[in-house]
Amino acid sequence: MKRNALVFAALLIAIVAMIATGKYITRFRHQGAASLVGDVRGVPAPDFELASLDGRKVKLSDYRGKAVLLNFWATWCSPCKVEMPWFVDLQKKYGNDGLVVLGVAMDDSDTPKIAQFASEMGVNYPVLLGTDKVSEQYGNVQFLPTTFYIDREGRIIGKGTGLLGRGEIEENVQKALASRVAGVHKADATGTAPSPAQAQTAAQ
Amino acid sequence: MKRLGIVSLLGLLVAHGAFAQQPGETVPSVIVAPVGKVQVRAGSSATVDLDFRIGSEFHVNSNKPKSELLIPTTLRLDAADPIKIVAVNYPAGEDMSFPFAPTEKLSVYSGDFTITTVIKASTKATNGTYPVSGELHFQACDRSACYPPKSIPVKFEVTVWNH
Repeated sequence: MKRNALVFAALLIAIVAMIATGKYITRFRHQGAASLVGDVRGVPAPDFELASLDGRKVKLSDYRGKAVLLNFWATWCSPCKVEMPWFVDLQKKYGNDGLVVLGVAMDDSDTPKIAQFASEMGVNYPVLLGTDKVSEQYGNVQFLPTTFYIDREGRIIGKGTGLLGRGEIEENVQKALASRVAGVHKADATGTAPSPAQAQTAAQ
Repeated sequence: MKRLGIVSLLGLLVAHGAFAQQPGETVPSVIVAPVGKVQVRAGSSATVDLDFRIGSEFHVNSNKPKSELLIPTTLRLDAADPIKIVAVNYPAGEDMSFPFAPTEKLSVYSGDFTITTVIKASTKATNGTYPVSGELHFQACDRSACYPPKSIPVKFEVTVWNH
């Protein structure tokens, strides 16, 4: 009887250890390869430097003071095509209020093909060439489209995976725009972000 | 005592299985059914059906998607002498509309689909078993999102006899 209890206790300890190990491995994987998993609201958006279609280097931090809609997409992603005209409209509608849409193309395709696609879609915002690194930084982007909404202080305020409704997207944009940079008035909240003209150039 | 051990072992297996999985990793699966015995006489050809199953809720582009931007499903097979891959025949895709593009028809495979290949053994082939291997390349989507292109291995063996 006593022996049974000891064996049972040993097995119980083994089970607990296994559970703890599993949880540790899960957390380690998430922290190492992909820090942005689960609820990402309030998390500082990881900075990155990516090439734009015209060869410029663009950093997310260039847009501090702006609300950023960061959209991961690909030319082979049909649902992504649905959202793009909405982003074009939102950029027009809220550009003067401080919205910057950034498209991150996760294609393996060559740049001219992506540029042609963006041009055909009438994209009026910068399109950047995605990398595995930026995908990892943003939680290993598995689904396309995936969109992050980043406030003027560089914090993520929302994330959408898969095709969302336009209303939901616009609501997130408005939330991002509603944020204010501490100590900076709306009129000054432009940071060092490129002008809309520069952004337009980047998309061409 | 023995019963306690078995119960505990089951507990361990369940606990390990539950926590080894990564949460939120619902990714599209495409699997290939094991290929049965393939036999061919030297100098002859044989048809080999490769059966694939796509996880429910997902679809992949057919071999002839309606846009050049879409990534077609393709099968690459490599065989060494004395086996040659003579043909790879893809099934026609099913024209389907999806909520993300209700007015557009996409040519896709969903559920089960079969790619038929034709192999040939050279006339000088000696008796033996020869491996054929390759991969199926596809890009899957569900009703609202798409997933990066992926490849899965495909392999089978061909037994040749030469009288």
